[in-house]
Amino acid sequence: MRKAVAAPQISGISNPTKQQVRAGVTQAWMERLRPYLYVAPALTFFFLFFLFPIAYVIYLSFFDWTLLNLEEMDWVGFENYSALLAESDFHQVLWNSLVYTVSTVVLGILLSFLLALWLNKKAKVYGVIQAAVFSPHIISLVSVAMLWMWLMDPQYGLLNALLEMVGLPGYTWLAETKSAMISLILVSIWKGVGYNTLVFIAGMQSIPRDIYEAADLDQSPWWRTLTRITIPMLSPTLFFLLVINTVSSFQVFDTIYVMTQGGPINSTNMLVFYIYEQGMDFYNGGAASAASVILLGLVGILTFLHFRVMGKRVHYQ
Amino acid sequence: MKKEEIFVKKFQASMVACVLSVTAILAGCGTNQQASGGNQGTTNTAAPAQTTASAQPASDKPVEIDFWYALGGRNGEMIQEMVKKFNETHKDIVVKAAYQGNYYENHSKVLAAVSAGNQPDVTMVEVGSIGAFADAKVLEDLGPYTNGAESKYIPGLLGNSYWKDKLYAIPFNRSTPLLYLNRDMLKAAGLDPEGPKTWEELREFSKALTKKEGDKTSTYGFSTAIDIWFYEALVFQSGGSILTEDNKALAINSEQGKAPIAFWTSMLKEGIMKAPPGEKYNAWDVAKQDFLNGQVGMIFTSTGDLRGLKENAKFEVGAAFLPANKNYGAPTGGANLVVLAKSSDEEKKASWEFINWMTDTAQTVPFSLESGYMPVTTEAVESAEMKAAYEKEPNFQVAVKQLEYASPRPMVPGYKELQEVIMTELQRAVMGQATVEEALQKADEKGQKLLKK
Amino acid sequence: MGHVGRTTLKMVEWILLIGVGLVFVFPFLWMFLTAFKTMPEVYQFPPSWWPESWQVENFRKAWSSGPFLTYVWNSLVVAVGTLILQFLIGVPAAYAFARYRFKGKNALFGLSLIALMIPSQVIFLPVYVQMSHWGLVDTLWALILPFGASAFGIFLLRQSFMQVPDEVIEAARLDNASEWKIMWTIMVPLAKPVLVTFGLFSFIYHWNDYFWPLIMTNSDSVRTLPIGISMLKAAEGGKQWNVIMAGNMMLVFPILVVFFFAQRHIINAFVYQSK
Repeated sequence: MRKAVAAPQISGISNPTKQQVRAGVTQAWMERLRPYLYVAPALTFFFLFFLFPIAYVIYLSFFDWTLLNLEEMDWVGFENYSALLAESDFHQVLWNSLVYTVSTVVLGILLSFLLALWLNKKAKVYGVIQAAVFSPHIISLVSVAMLWMWLMDPQYGLLNALLEMVGLPGYTWLAETKSAMISLILVSIWKGVGYNTLVFIAGMQSIPRDIYEAADLDQSPWWRTLTRITIPMLSPTLFFLLVINTVSSFQVFDTIYVMTQGGPINSTNMLVFYIYEQGMDFYNGGAASAASVILLGLVGILTFLHFRVMGKRVHYQ
Repeated sequence: MKKEEIFVKKFQASMVACVLSVTAILAGCGTNQQASGGNQGTTNTAAPAQTTASAQPASDKPVEIDFWYALGGRNGEMIQEMVKKFNETHKDIVVKAAYQGNYYENHSKVLAAVSAGNQPDVTMVEVGSIGAFADAKVLEDLGPYTNGAESKYIPGLLGNSYWKDKLYAIPFNRSTPLLYLNRDMLKAAGLDPEGPKTWEELREFSKALTKKEGDKTSTYGFSTAIDIWFYEALVFQSGGSILTEDNKALAINSEQGKAPIAFWTSMLKEGIMKAPPGEKYNAWDVAKQDFLNGQVGMIFTSTGDLRGLKENAKFEVGAAFLPANKNYGAPTGGANLVVLAKSSDEEKKASWEFINWMTDTAQTVPFSLESGYMPVTTEAVESAEMKAAYEKEPNFQVAVKQLEYASPRPMVPGYKELQEVIMTELQRAVMGQATVEEALQKADEKGQKLLKK
Repeated sequence: MGHVGRTTLKMVEWILLIGVGLVFVFPFLWMFLTAFKTMPEVYQFPPSWWPESWQVENFRKAWSSGPFLTYVWNSLVVAVGTLILQFLIGVPAAYAFARYRFKGKNALFGLSLIALMIPSQVIFLPVYVQMSHWGLVDTLWALILPFGASAFGIFLLRQSFMQVPDEVIEAARLDNASEWKIMWTIMVPLAKPVLVTFGLFSFIYHWNDYFWPLIMTNSDSVRTLPIGISMLKAAEGGKQWNVIMAGNMMLVFPILVVFFFAQRHIINAFVYQSK
């Protein structure tokens, strides 16, 4: 697009006096300083609330500490990490996070892609349904969690009533190890699928129409149009959604905290909840900060990948 | 303090000053906060809260103390009413009460607040956590304040009040688990309405009460959350204990530790007991709701639920001792009141006055009668009012009578985490995901790690 | 086939459309209906669809279970305060990134984009410790400051500023307008659509946020609405789903109403991130 403009030169002054020259010099200095002054507040905040905490948590992860006595931290080197990695509960936490992430991301994206293909039409109904599908996305996760906890109540919940109405046995939902994870995944997909769908639709609408028209002229069958045009053209969107969804499923907490507390039997305990439990409940600052660093590493890798791929697009804008 | 920390702190302080000056533009924000707040020491953000708390000069202004509680619903309302009454009768002290969620939530809030320096002055603490907090030097030794006044409390309720021979906590809303009975259902089945006395009778009663429609069970005889508190009870009933005598290891990888799991598992297998779904207190809620709806005949739950269940049930509710294995037994539970060590002297004095008042006979009697929690003073139990109430409603006396067989909860610092480990392993064993041996073995290993600290 | 086939297909599609719509809308309807039921109706199986008598009482119970006026006020202060701060800090930064050339620009811009990718859940622990050093835990500042600079906001504004034609700015400079004035009186009004978009996004995000206030607050005087609502859960004698859902309505309803009237804007606000 447009190039950024250089800092403006003072123009329209002829035969400057001495005073004017001096003023001009300070002003020129001011102009050179100006962009830095403008970005300084923002960068201060980023530094204080993102960069410094990242460094600080890495530092903390080498100490044995609790929230109760931050003044007496003991240096333990990598002990927190080795203890954490030897902990079978933590293995389960990592495994749970993986299962949850892969399921929500893959199912969520697949489902929303199909919805987008279907709903990307002009007629008004489709707009209404798009809005309906999107609506959970703007609702507080804590409301969503409590609402679904009620819907999934094994005895009095609506879902089991509906199942029974059609002659199926009730499901255990949050009550059992196997179904609790599935239930959380379901809630996450319900909340997020609308966003993904609309992002896909936005992506589809930005594909130039003439490409499709050319395909129509060639009488290319619909599936070939899909695999040869739509999907390749959507690959940046798809990649964006992959990263965004993965990062957001790493940070799942509210539904766990409200609906399962990590249970039954640790079956839904995942990274952020684990960090919260260790740090705020069990006095294990060391374990909590080491787990934070591991989570940070995972998010960092994804971010890096994101920028490697997105970087080009950012530059072309 | 280490050098690098001083550096970090100084650096942070200068940075925050920087940010604050930028954000001072947001003047609207500051005033809003004051308008909505009234939380002392939080609006003057630049100064650390720790120093402001203790520097108040003595004056005519009433002392303000913050009090956190962890009971919701009707019991919570009652606490608010008591606080209101205290404030009306004590012009020199203003108590501000804040609800902090259930015991688990309250625990982490207290911990977090202490580290942040904005802790309350008085808080309820679940009895099993007293040791952890006392050991971390978070609590104030109450000895100098009580001057022996603690002798008015029922001795059986003071088991979780001492840590290393110092008094840190005063019993407040104290409970034990009880067996609740749907008397109408028991009578209809031709069973003794006083309920089962032993584990074997519990099994027989459950069998008689369980009803099946086709292959679906419409009524279960018995239900209990697979919770650490009830497990402790069953271990005590089998003549065992949770920790070894030196508090250095778990003692449940034993005959007495296995018996409860075997008992529950066999009843579940027979289809006469229901393990309510849900984590922590969610499972309790399900058990209570099933009981109220007549879907289970008998449940374990706290004395504190007595009033709530009685009011909502459409049948005659009975309360009984937990059935005995080798002997009767139950842990005490509920919460104690503590004073936090970081408060100023003035606040501590006011806090003790508040605690003393809250737990005095004049308050504990109506609180007990309204909730079902046990009265905490000996005088209260023997008072004419209480006796008359027991006469009319014998259920209320069961918990106090059961105290004779009750033991304190384990209170070593690592127990907070350990009990969650035990609970997880219990559930694993009960749900058939691990054998009893595997589960207890794992709990034992974890216990050795946690208790060494 | 032909005509008949096409109508049946259309019918099937309509049924599917309604089905999908219901999956997403019906839970809200169920929240609404439950909020007006009595306790016995709530604990009835199979459930009754329609409340026998509309229990407005549930809302009163939810409202009086805590200082809800304070919660609502705090939620507004946090959401609006954050937005103002993001605006004041974001506009100059975006302007500099969009219209100036200076040493280290790309590096600094890249640095701020990192913030776009790191969710607050990942670094809450060190931020909490920092806040506690500063004595800011349990104040509204702790809920506002960490979000004071929005990388997303800066990114959006920068895009918008870059699209303003050079002539507009040149003309203003010839009028001897200062850079500061150009930024606030010419650029900002031109970026209005983006500001609305971002404002909606930020407001909804902070109105809804549960995690951060949960970690940072302990006192009623600084708690926000989501925390107040989640505290309705605990009560003896079973969960009072009717009261909980009534509380939930207080949190959800305003957003749904705004969504109803500003659908396009809101969808744009959230989907824009992908472009």
